Amino acid sequence: MNCNGIVVIAEHLRGELVDITLEMLACGRRLADAAGCGLDCLILTDRSETFKGLPMAADGVTIVTDSGLAEFNPDTYMAVLHPLLTEAAARLVLVGNTSTGMDLASPLSMTLEAQIVGSCTALDLEMEAFVATSQLYGGKIIATSEFTTKRGVALLMAGNYPREEGMRDQMPDVQVREAPAPLETPRVVFRKFIEPEGEDVDLTKCPTLVAAGRGVEDEDTLEELNELAELLGGAVCATRPIVDQEMLPRSRQVGRSGVMVKPRFFLALGISGAPEHVEGMKDSDLIVAINTDETAPVFDVAHYGAVMDLEDLVPELIDKLQEG
Amino acid sequence: MKYLVLQRQVPDVVEELVIADDRKALDEDEVMYITNELDDHALEQALLLKERHGGQVTVMSVGGTDARDALATAMAKGADRAVLVAVEREGHADNHQLAAYLTGFVREQDCDLILTGVQTVDELDGSLGGLLAHHLGMPYVGGLAAVELEAETTTVRKEYPGGLLAEMAVTSPAVLGIQSAEQPPRYVPISKVMQMKRTLEPQEFKESLPDVRGLAISGITMPEPAERAEMLGDDEEEVADRIVGLLRERGVV
Repeated sequence: MNCNGIVVIAEHLRGELVDITLEMLACGRRLADAAGCGLDCLILTDRSETFKGLPMAADGVTIVTDSGLAEFNPDTYMAVLHPLLTEAAARLVLVGNTSTGMDLASPLSMTLEAQIVGSCTALDLEMEAFVATSQLYGGKIIATSEFTTKRGVALLMAGNYPREEGMRDQMPDVQVREAPAPLETPRVVFRKFIEPEGEDVDLTKCPTLVAAGRGVEDEDTLEELNELAELLGGAVCATRPIVDQEMLPRSRQVGRSGVMVKPRFFLALGISGAPEHVEGMKDSDLIVAINTDETAPVFDVAHYGAVMDLEDLVPELIDKLQEG
Repeated sequence: MKYLVLQRQVPDVVEELVIADDRKALDEDEVMYITNELDDHALEQALLLKERHGGQVTVMSVGGTDARDALATAMAKGADRAVLVAVEREGHADNHQLAAYLTGFVREQDCDLILTGVQTVDELDGSLGGLLAHHLGMPYVGGLAAVELEAETTTVRKEYPGGLLAEMAVTSPAVLGIQSAEQPPRYVPISKVMQMKRTLEPQEFKESLPDVRGLAISGITMPEPAERAEMLGDDEEEVADRIVGLLRERGVV
């Protein structure tokens, strides 16, 4: 591993790199080029073969293999990462602003005495310091912060750097090594994956989606949304709060911990546009957002919008579509 | 079993947010505070565990005056003990400082499980749960959608993208970062909360804040207006017409 460089902690699931890894490599590549330092990618796995031949846009790829690294485990990951990152004196460590990356950032910050900046949408080099742009308050505010300590940990949000830049047409220097120390019996043990509950509708295959947010307050409105979705030849999906309230099944949730969708038409109704949700829908061909709050961040991602009560608009839309 | 739930007061992002003159934080006079939504899920999960397996739920509420009200709500929902952590807010959350501040007190409580929301809308310097676990020398897993107890271990379900869940076993004592409880946070009648408010005398934890800082934000701004959506008007019929027009143009309908 390069000394004093930037290190990307790869995220992978069931033998495949997760998109965020390529986005972190794209981000790390730009930063490393600007700062004139090395870029390394660290992959913790039980099977090195899967990742050996990938032309990742890093100068070096270190694959640490151990049977205890088959699946993500915050304890075993830390047992490997701490000695390796200390040895490399990593200047900036990139992890995903994801379920697994968030588990690692805090202990990494403590053991490396590094500052953390979460919810990053961009990382830049200004006056030789790394500067992070982050989303705060559900994306309603943009924050800028500078790393002032020798080491830093940045949590990168998905969808901000082009994945294709995470690969290039030359092979990095790949090293396969064993875990630096035997992995002791961890306090956390991975048991099994639980597949999503019986998919009633595959949201990724719907050409149109009518999405319900917190502004959808009752079952009657939801019923109207179903009618609208049917007229549009699509389905109703939702943000996390609607699913948490058990108004719709988990399989209808769009966003970071739900489904990522790219329909031809996405109608966001009563959705504020929290970053976790936006990650899952912002690549839709056409996004129209309806919200009573004109400052809602959803209007930053929508192509068209209107500030009004969805309950007033939906019946009008149904009428117009029925008129044909 | 002894459960400790950490709840924090955070700005309500449904309200209009106003940036303070120094452009580094929100204007405190304009902020409405609410209990961090995921912390409510953490309380719900603890109450579910108590109902199934018995035990005691202590709630620690961090924040200004609203933190006291949050404790009344938590007690009305079924928590057994209330601890107020009065911390005057200065801008966004500083989890490094808060974790260091709470460590000694939390350790003394000798709890089996410490539950808190996996994140808040006002934090950038990592998760409170993860930092606290490090100070306490306990394991931490976040992004959880279910917690169950089995003899000496705690079984958790951690969320992955696409609705996939990973089942993990965690040795107690542990800190758990809750994403959502197994059921929506329970509703409690306002009369019950008001009654609790009148009689509740929470224990107070107050010491001098440690000289620890997570991160200094150099500036905050509103998102660039240039990126905003084209507005379709304010008359429902006209907006419906334009949406249908857009869909026809693109051959969606």
